[in-house]
Amino acid sequence: MKSIPTDLSRRAFVERFVKTCLGVSLLPGLGALRGAGAPPRARAKSVIFLYLRGGLSHIDTFDPKPGRPEMGGVRAIGTTADGVQVSEWFPRMARQMHHVSLVRSMTSTQGIHELGAYSAHTSHFMTPTIRHPALGSWVVKLLGSENRLLPGNVLINGSPQHPGSGYFPAHLAPLPIVDPGAGLQNSVRPTAVSEADFNRRAALARALGSHFVQQTPHRDAAAYLKIQQEAATLMKSEDLKVFDITREDAATQAAYGAHTFGKGCLLARRLVEAGVRFIEVEDDQNWDTHNDQLKSMRLMTPSVDQTMAALLEDLHRRGLLASTLVVMATEFGRTPQLNTVTAGRGHHPGVFTWWLAGGGAKGGYVHGQSDAIGEHVAENPVTMPDLNATIAFALGLDIGHIEHSPSGRPFTVADKGQPVTALFA
Amino acid sequence: MRSIPILLIALAAPLGAAEVPRFEADVLPVLYRHCFSCHSEKQAKPKGGLRFDSAEGLAHAAVIAPGKPDESELLQRVSLPPTHEDVMPPLKGGAQPLSDAERSVLRAWIAAGAKLDGWVKFQHREAPLDAPVAALARAAVPELARQVDALIDGHHRAKGTTRNAPASDEVFLRRVYLDVAGRIPSLEESTRFLADSRDDRRARLVDALLAGEGYVSHTYNWKADQLRLNPRALAGGQPAWLYDDWVKDVIRAGRPHDETVRQLITAKGYLWENGAAGFYLRDLGMPLDHASNLSRVFLGTRMECAQCHDHPLEPVTQKDFFQMAAFTAGVSNLSSPSGYSNDNVEQWPEIKALLARMDADKALQDGVSRAISPLKRLTTDNDKPLSFPATYVYDAAARGRPVSPRTLFGDEALIVDGDRRRAFAEWMTSPRNPRFAKNAANRLWKRVMGAGLIEPVDSLTALTPPEHRELLDFLTSALIGFRFDERAFLAVLLNTRLYQSEAVRERPEPGAPFGLHGPLLRRLSAEQIWDSHLVLLVPDLDERKSAMRHEGSLLNPARLRRLTAMTADEIIARSRDEMAYRARRREHTLRLAEQKKALAAAQAGGNTAEARRLRAAHAQENENFFSPELQALEMGGAEPAPETDPRWQSLPREFVRASEIPLPLPLGHFLRQFGQSDRREIDAFNRDPNTTHALALMNGELAARVLAPDSPLRRQLASADGRRDRLTALIYRALLVRSPSDGELSTIAALTATSLTPVEDTVWALLNSPEFLFQR
Repeated sequence: MKSIPTDLSRRAFVERFVKTCLGVSLLPGLGALRGAGAPPRARAKSVIFLYLRGGLSHIDTFDPKPGRPEMGGVRAIGTTADGVQVSEWFPRMARQMHHVSLVRSMTSTQGIHELGAYSAHTSHFMTPTIRHPALGSWVVKLLGSENRLLPGNVLINGSPQHPGSGYFPAHLAPLPIVDPGAGLQNSVRPTAVSEADFNRRAALARALGSHFVQQTPHRDAAAYLKIQQEAATLMKSEDLKVFDITREDAATQAAYGAHTFGKGCLLARRLVEAGVRFIEVEDDQNWDTHNDQLKSMRLMTPSVDQTMAALLEDLHRRGLLASTLVVMATEFGRTPQLNTVTAGRGHHPGVFTWWLAGGGAKGGYVHGQSDAIGEHVAENPVTMPDLNATIAFALGLDIGHIEHSPSGRPFTVADKGQPVTALFA
Repeated sequence: MRSIPILLIALAAPLGAAEVPRFEADVLPVLYRHCFSCHSEKQAKPKGGLRFDSAEGLAHAAVIAPGKPDESELLQRVSLPPTHEDVMPPLKGGAQPLSDAERSVLRAWIAAGAKLDGWVKFQHREAPLDAPVAALARAAVPELARQVDALIDGHHRAKGTTRNAPASDEVFLRRVYLDVAGRIPSLEESTRFLADSRDDRRARLVDALLAGEGYVSHTYNWKADQLRLNPRALAGGQPAWLYDDWVKDVIRAGRPHDETVRQLITAKGYLWENGAAGFYLRDLGMPLDHASNLSRVFLGTRMECAQCHDHPLEPVTQKDFFQMAAFTAGVSNLSSPSGYSNDNVEQWPEIKALLARMDADKALQDGVSRAISPLKRLTTDNDKPLSFPATYVYDAAARGRPVSPRTLFGDEALIVDGDRRRAFAEWMTSPRNPRFAKNAANRLWKRVMGAGLIEPVDSLTALTPPEHRELLDFLTSALIGFRFDERAFLAVLLNTRLYQSEAVRERPEPGAPFGLHGPLLRRLSAEQIWDSHLVLLVPDLDERKSAMRHEGSLLNPARLRRLTAMTADEIIARSRDEMAYRARRREHTLRLAEQKKALAAAQAGGNTAEARRLRAAHAQENENFFSPELQALEMGGAEPAPETDPRWQSLPREFVRASEIPLPLPLGHFLRQFGQSDRREIDAFNRDPNTTHALALMNGELAARVLAPDSPLRRQLASADGRRDRLTALIYRALLVRSPSDGELSTIAALTATSLTPVEDTVWALLNSPEFLFQR
């Protein structure tokens, strides 16, 4: 962002930033922003980013349009938040809505899965010349990890196309957990290998590997050598137990559900307790409902409803919700009109819903609105960069902080996104 | 995913002080990249009424003051800071500001008088390739390789650069196995080649590998990533593996690329009659996505932005996109009717009448519907033309009106007898198509060299970047000359001195053109890593096939063929059988579950006699269930057949080439960990390092099996002469396909001096060396 001259004093920058983003000179609620060098007031220590891949229909979920023909007969139900309704397919989330801030005015221009998902994660459009880091990598880059040994950034059941650490070094990439039920795979030394054997072999691998790395300037070659050391350290760490969700009692495991997303969210909660900063959990279902919308939703919604509600309830009961920001995201919404031929809904980036809970976000709150049928934004549009800036804001990150890509281009955590401060009490 | 994001688009190279930029070579590409998406004749209403795509338009726009760069609005506007509201191009939708190099090109050109050198206007519609290309025989390969090298030498002479030093036999050996067969050579294969002293040993190896089954496997992975072959994505109840097998057969038989694409685009019928129908079943209900994916993969042209609006960065309009999509949009499986009709199930009217006469209950209706559901997916054309969307903003009158198919570039496609797909396929694969062969040549080049001559490979436009134009044109002609025989074309590349040079070991700068010094060093794909481990574990790896899914399975094509021929009566009888089968299956599953519970209780209670009885009952239960009558129904799950080949009897069934393992894979599978594409989208693989890779290599099953005392590798080592350095040399040859250096020998000697297991130590260390994971 060349828009922020580096010689501008920080205070002047902050003032200018507040002006541009809020249209007023200084807002009372943003007192912390005023202090020179002080980060905004942060409530959230960790983020759980729930990603529903494929493009989640908004009107069938968190932005219902009761009585409209577009609903195809699906009803809206009341929730624990006054005046807030969700679709009948989310009975359990309905009982958690007093924790949730719905953002019903999300909007984007990217109607292709790959491009939308990229924007959701990086705040940038996908371009061929650079790969931007995902938000989780920014968070560990700027905040570090609370836990010395565990990586601060974990991706559970992530897609192979996750942008990862982008142009940041590989150690900021999320640690992928492919099967949350199995914990961190391969983290235990085979019984046939003694510790002395392991140490000797690891030392030999390092020594021989460095012969290769010395002749090979390619950064990934050196990264593999470094990763090996990190992995060896991690294997000896007590913290590995964190990855074992079977240590939870049966009732807790059952509450989250035995499907991948359920296990992933339970693991995410354990990681939050261990001080991991940013955990993304991707649902294993594909929400790209081009065909048979209602039937597909009937099949897919129960498991996410169960898991997301269980996660909020569990975090709340453990007193973790205040310091944990939970975000539900997707790449776009779906067309309000049911396709007459396929009975499905098409891609619809014009308006869709994400939600936040905990981490200082207001509960039982709705920000922004879509129009009567959920086709356009009616009020307070919020972009993906804005929402990512909001997450950064909740964590107390300096959204004006500049990092340079290897080619010297300056970037900030959420590009030109501005935090939606109205979401915070 | 682009692990090496290099962009070879001609970002005008910095010019020497004395050089005056030429309009068409240097200036036009800048205008094309940054201006034409809003200021050209392509837009219904060019922004500000300005058109920069013709001499007349430029003159009329009056944004250039020849000789006075600082007074030229064009240069002023593109030089404003990005925050300025008047900056050009407007930085939205992913648009990038001009680079300093691009600005200096404009400045120098304007300063020198802004001469157009006779240029009149830009041809948005790229011309067809006109010159006929004579057929080439496979015997032409050596001569063509020499000609490619001559072009490369010319490039280096002009640039004052050089090709890297020639690669040794060892480096060539490992590289060519990885590129062609998708795996490292086995110890025997290495030893055989390294003992060959014939002058043409490399050319012979190239030919042998291209003719081998390893080539089929590796090429399948490469194509599967492009075609997004993911059985789960095929419509319900379809034997999706038939499409995978069709692709493998095409590769194995060496059917030309153009013919293959024609068969895909014109595919008709049921999947069990024509595997190519999977091309459309893959994208059920998504005609527009199908069209944009097809364009990326076969034409190297990204059009998906234009699905919803004019392309923000290219002079490609939404209308262009819809006109192209209109060729394939009428395929029944793309705009899928969700119900049954006599269009897709021939017997449907009779079945319906029969069910009504019988006053069939809901259960039977559902049962019939389920039994014939595979028939529903008949790939055929319907009469419904594609219409402009209700949101079409460029011409309100066109909304909801049918779109006439029209190609984006090259020739027009002439539709004969209403067969749109035939016309589209002929146009697409014609040697006159300016992008079809070029795209294929560029992708094949990338496959073996590590990066395309144009990057990204799907960024072909009406303006070919000048950097490697001559070389790419030559290669394109060669591919056409070989009549799209991919093997012959690859043979040319693999026989070049460029390919047989030392690798470029740096990661190229993003945006830098391919330097033509040598192939790029790169991490192996997930499939190559898996397959290379298996080379150490599975004798004759390429010959081992997955025990599959066919016989007795729900997906048996023979059973589905019979279904197509059944009368309505027979289908209803069949449906009843299937319903009875499912009821029995449910009871059977329940009994099995109860037995398992009882068995666990008996075992926990230490009641061995009871446990034995229950195990026997369990076996009996299974045997009873799979009675001959039930098996005749061909409903059973796809149990893999036990291995009968003595070479592989001690190995797990799933130790086969990655190409033989059906997707989707379980979450924790090695291939997924190392970034295999899930094939939901094009080339969605990932080759970035991650801690989990180190864990898998150190503690995973594959490493443990390679190290096991009875592994094929250990047996080979055991039978070798026992001297330490000789053993170490064998291990190096088996794993890294080279000899150890003196330094490495002494490192190993020092670090294993007191070890009781020096062989295991060395194997373990090399499997865990980054070198194993890279192609150099």
